[in-house]
Amino acid sequence: MADLKEYKRDKIDSKFGKIVIDRDLCIGAASCIAVSGVTFELDNENKVIVIDSESVDDDMLFVAAESCPTKAILLFDKSGKQIFPK
Amino acid sequence: MDNYKYLIIGGGVAGSTAAETIRLKDSVASIAIINDELYTLYSRVMLSKPNFFLGQIPFDSVWLKNNEWYKKNNIVFLGGITVVKLDANKKTVILSDNLILGYEKLLIATGVCTRKWNFPGSQKKGIYYLRTLDDGRAIMNAIKIAKRAVTIGGGFISFEMADLLKMAGIDTTMIIRENYFWEPMLDEDSGRMVENALKKNGIKIIYKSEVKEVIGETNVKAVILQDNTKIECDMIICGIGAYCDFGWLADSGLKTNRGILADEYLKTNLPDVWTAGDVAEFNDLILDETIQIGNWVNAREHGRIVALNMVGEHTAFKFVSFYTTQGLGISIAFIGDVRLDKNRLVIKRGSPNKNSYGRIIILDKGVRKEVEGATLINRTSEMTAIAKIIEKNIDVLNKLDKLGDDNFDLKSIA
Repeated sequence: MADLKEYKRDKIDSKFGKIVIDRDLCIGAASCIAVSGVTFELDNENKVIVIDSESVDDDMLFVAAESCPTKAILLFDKSGKQIFPK
Repeated sequence: MDNYKYLIIGGGVAGSTAAETIRLKDSVASIAIINDELYTLYSRVMLSKPNFFLGQIPFDSVWLKNNEWYKKNNIVFLGGITVVKLDANKKTVILSDNLILGYEKLLIATGVCTRKWNFPGSQKKGIYYLRTLDDGRAIMNAIKIAKRAVTIGGGFISFEMADLLKMAGIDTTMIIRENYFWEPMLDEDSGRMVENALKKNGIKIIYKSEVKEVIGETNVKAVILQDNTKIECDMIICGIGAYCDFGWLADSGLKTNRGILADEYLKTNLPDVWTAGDVAEFNDLILDETIQIGNWVNAREHGRIVALNMVGEHTAFKFVSFYTTQGLGISIAFIGDVRLDKNRLVIKRGSPNKNSYGRIIILDKGVRKEVEGATLINRTSEMTAIAKIIEKNIDVLNKLDKLGDDNFDLKSIA
């Protein structure tokens, strides 16, 4: 079983309803943190955690997910369908 | 002769991010990327990760941009080609296939080359370096049959390869020239923590040692160290550093040192020539010195900022660099400048005994004290806060006790 950690996103004007971190894939490259340090942080195992799933807009969140060199950040729409990575 | 408004040499993360950013700003300009490897953008950092190597992640997940992406964004991708000459007066480059291309604006984001060994036997089969996807593939194939491996070097390539070799069930010995792991980037206490993690996993380490000869007929069979110790092995992985080959820039007038020299806008001394990524030796506004940094996050940020400058949006690069790795039950992070130059103080957080140990490196300016960098073992959660403290240039003169207090939350001053 993959080690997945889910974070709900309730932001009203957002198309994303959920951010999922695949902890098996995450290597702590931290490129997402470089894009959005208010959303992401590392824990002591060098894996990314979401500290605030609401504050940034969809564009910024998407760029952060896309910046990940191991595609460890998954984005889902409000109906639960995976939008990224495709 | 084809002319491009934006010509980018290097299709790694710096060059690709630059192309992507330019396209966002200019929907019609011609853009071309010249790449020494045949491949479109892939995840270079994945190449040294065990779960990728051992097939736990599908190989295809290495691709970050496919041919479709370049087509859709109208970016010409010239793979498997190198540049052999730059003529900055004519604003042209000559390619390895003798083609000449003209540019209006040029970005050099070639990355760096792996330093190669040169001594008796160093040309034998079974000696691996790690820079390209093909290098990664070669190692992936080798570990399927290897029984005994030797790694050379005491840095992150050796550390991550040791993790991988251990997971592949290969008997591994590390040969390290220094006195302890990751000297001098880490202090000895931190280095010993890494050593313990390696030893606990059955990896042998030989310090203060170098290989003088590789023996074997066609393939490597063993290495001989300078003290004549013989270690049998059927593969060797070298992580002994990087360098830049600037032969193609001879007579171009481009100023180079270890890297290509650039200001804080990543602009070189030549008109309309910029540089980005590992090859750039740029004026770092945060550290207030010229520095060359080799990691994924820095290269990506470079690519974004240099593109803004190339399209005419004057934007200085200001970013606290960081690098992390983990494996064998230990995590390691480097933030900012960790060199112990003069006028540096070190504040320790946690301790090796607690298996959680950080060092905050402070520049002592007398009346002001500023955090310059940090190394963290099993404390990566503090990375973001420390990066912010460095970025904001906070005076920590009256906070030195707090920085050393393990219970003090660094976020409260970041």
